[in-house]
Amino acid sequence: MSLKRINKELADLGRDPPSSCSAGPVGDDLYHWQASIMGPPDSPYAGGVFFLSIHFPTDYPFKPPKIAFTTKIYHPNINGNGNICLDILKDQWSPALTISKVLLSICSLLTDANPDDPLVPEIAHIYKLDRPKYEAIAKEWTKKYAV
Amino acid sequence: MTRSTINVKVVAAESLYKRDVFRQPDPFAVITIDGAQTKTTKTAKKTLNPYWNEKFDVTASEDSILIIQVFDQKKFKKKDQGFLGVVNVRVGDVIDLSLPSSEETITRDLKKSNENLAVTGKIIIVISHSSSASTRNGTSSFGNGSSNSAAATARLSSSSTGVVGGSSAPPPGINSSSTGGASSSGNSQRQYSSFEDQYGRLPTGWERRTDNFGRTYFVDHNSRTTTWQRPTLDQTELQRDQQRELTTEAERRQHRERTLPGDTPLSPTLGAQGSSTSVTSGSVTVNALGPNQPVSPAAAVSMAASGATTSGLGELPSGWEQRFTNEDRPYFVDHNTRTTTWVDPRRQQYIRTYGPNTTIQQQPVSQLGPLPSGWEMRLTNTARVYFVDHNTKTTTWDDPRLPSSLDQNVPQYKRDFRRKLVYFRSQPALRILPGQCHIKVRRDHIFEDSYQEIMRQSPEDLKKRLMIKFEGEEGLDYGGVSREFFFLLSHDMFNPFYCLFEYSTLDIYTLQINPNSGINPEHLNYFKFIGRVVGLCVFHRRFLDAFFVGALYKMMVRKKVVLQDMEGVDAEFYRSLKWMLDNDISEAFMGTTFTVEDDKFGEIVEIELKPGGKDIEVTEQNKLEYVELITEWKIHKRVEEQFNAFIDGFNELIPEALVKVFDARELELLIGGLATIDVDDWKKHTDYRGYSESDQVIQWFWQCLREWDLEQKARLLQFTTGTSRIPVNGFKDLQGSDGPRRFTIEKAGEPEQLPKSHTCFNRVDLPPYTSYESLKQKLTMAVEETVGFGQE
Repeated sequence: MSLKRINKELADLGRDPPSSCSAGPVGDDLYHWQASIMGPPDSPYAGGVFFLSIHFPTDYPFKPPKIAFTTKIYHPNINGNGNICLDILKDQWSPALTISKVLLSICSLLTDANPDDPLVPEIAHIYKLDRPKYEAIAKEWTKKYAV
Repeated sequence: MTRSTINVKVVAAESLYKRDVFRQPDPFAVITIDGAQTKTTKTAKKTLNPYWNEKFDVTASEDSILIIQVFDQKKFKKKDQGFLGVVNVRVGDVIDLSLPSSEETITRDLKKSNENLAVTGKIIIVISHSSSASTRNGTSSFGNGSSNSAAATARLSSSSTGVVGGSSAPPPGINSSSTGGASSSGNSQRQYSSFEDQYGRLPTGWERRTDNFGRTYFVDHNSRTTTWQRPTLDQTELQRDQQRELTTEAERRQHRERTLPGDTPLSPTLGAQGSSTSVTSGSVTVNALGPNQPVSPAAAVSMAASGATTSGLGELPSGWEQRFTNEDRPYFVDHNTRTTTWVDPRRQQYIRTYGPNTTIQQQPVSQLGPLPSGWEMRLTNTARVYFVDHNTKTTTWDDPRLPSSLDQNVPQYKRDFRRKLVYFRSQPALRILPGQCHIKVRRDHIFEDSYQEIMRQSPEDLKKRLMIKFEGEEGLDYGGVSREFFFLLSHDMFNPFYCLFEYSTLDIYTLQINPNSGINPEHLNYFKFIGRVVGLCVFHRRFLDAFFVGALYKMMVRKKVVLQDMEGVDAEFYRSLKWMLDNDISEAFMGTTFTVEDDKFGEIVEIELKPGGKDIEVTEQNKLEYVELITEWKIHKRVEEQFNAFIDGFNELIPEALVKVFDARELELLIGGLATIDVDDWKKHTDYRGYSESDQVIQWFWQCLREWDLEQKARLLQFTTGTSRIPVNGFKDLQGSDGPRRFTIEKAGEPEQLPKSHTCFNRVDLPPYTSYESLKQKLTMAVEETVGFGQE
């Protein structure tokens, strides 16, 4: 099941690549992909390219893929390990979702953080109380790690 | 620091220490770099001079420490792990990584560990590197950044650490690099060794692991225990010991207080219950057991309900004599035939059957043999025999062993756990055999000692009076010792540390068979052993301090598992299967066939769900069958070998036909016992959605609960949380599939519908019933009927 589905998603990505992100297998192993996301222009991540690792479980798409940033990023919903707090990667996962859709959701998470359900409370705190400071740090990190 | 790929070849070892007099070890080597990147050689069989000649690629810097440990595979479970020696090598001391390539062969003496066990012999290894294979970490772009071989290695190492879903927990005792979550993509900057995490180093002897579901847990090698809570450095070893001791004590207290209906001799309701089941119970009991034998009410009920009808007890027939065993149990000697029997010849049991001409035929029970599987014999209040078929939940006057007649006015089927228990225990197969069964164990080696003691005896031996002894401790086993024995043993043998069982996703304490238990080549013997222990415990009327997922009990009573059972086994998977049934699948599951992929220690294998499955596409029309088959595979087929070994062991003590008298929920109580349930505590830690505590329906709910007996309360817990287990510290610690989850009552559904439950979230959907009677009736129905789907 999973391999056929992963192959299909790979073919779909090649035929109709989403703007501002890309993804594909790292080597021979179709269960391990790498992806990249361009920092959205209307966000402090603009200009940066962020890499993510994708691990498909063998029972994909019954189970969500495991996705994490490998590029450091300053964001209330992404922690120091690169783990992402996103409902569709957890209890809101559905077999109808694809890597392409998930990456687009991550893109929009970069534009619109969700500070009310933070993974890093300190960043969420700054995000809420001192937005310019948050943007400055996020820009700095982007420059330092993602350009 | 630049890391390079180096190749470690473990060639051989020689003159290993012979730790056993009678046999030689099965040595294998475990390679670790910097406390991470664990690799294991194959096992060499029965030799002190193993030859492996296996190569491994690892990434290392010149300061990396390469550790190679040698173990005896046969003794890997034991406390010393079958340790046969270790060498520590600094990579830079052997090869120069700045050279384009190099290769060195070294021979080192094996060293002792801290345990100070004797060690002899040498190990030969070859370390080599060539800079072309050097990898750079970080954000190199995909597709060309890493070579294929590096990717393959990453795959291998990540699958052995359980990061790619569904793969194994690390083998016990191996210092495996189980990195949390999805961060093990070969990025060393984020890769924590298993002895540290983002909060720093773990205390000495502790290891971090990830289970099959990606949850992190902690292994304390000092005490060989596991916990979900991260240990902190500011606690001393002593404080942690005390903490653990406190928890164990609380669990022990809870375990000791567990009961089954009818077990408490002081229960006031019991006497009344007993006499109402039979008109003759009083006289039967006193005479049958002899005057000097105290009669428990439970025994009285058992006599009555087993269908005994007395014909007045007078003198024994001529040539008969009554004697007593060492345990004061009466038996009867027939000197005419030189035979002995437990059955009092004055109490021959007859079954009355109503023949076609309404003549009453009487036939001695003993000539008919046992009832079919899942059947029970009961008496009406007029002492008429009828039969209950728990398979179909029906009743009949007809003895299923005899030709049938008309069924008229036969009592309605009613599930009655107390009666089933009485019937169950009155069965000849569950009688204690004469003699004693001695089991002597060391407290701190309870798993392996019990394994030896229980597997060396025959099932018949195990049915004798149980005499447990803890080595070095005085005390005769009058119940207390065996209670402690089952308590300690259940904590040890189900410990995920041994990879035989794992915690389900339902919460963090219900257990299920670990599909990857095969990491231990002897696992099937262990499952048989565990099955025997569960059987032993039921046979001798003790309780285990362990609770399984509902599906496992269902399999034990040989019921087919259904989609609903998946919720307790793997909630995420369950949601996706439900999604399949509720949605058009043609897009998301295009090209899917009746197959499933399984991860066998890093190797993906395709398994057909039915013959020819790989050529059958899943469509809207056949998706229901697909969902059924994949459910069956995931819950049952995948662990079939293990389950069969387990149930074989169990059925050696408890025959299958008798187990089937119970439903899955009753079996859980039979094995684990009923804990006292504090309704005030339950209510105090309950949340409401759409209701408030003062609402009439909510008041009715708690009123109903208080009116119910303990077993019904436990059944409601099973219905709503998936298990009857209550956390040691009460309802405030109730766990769901995603962490702590308080019991929740949600306003949902129409008044004519039954309540529904969501066991992952400890939630019950309670429709706004309009009367107390209606609520009670609907709640009772929901709790009694174990099937959730299609029930409305």
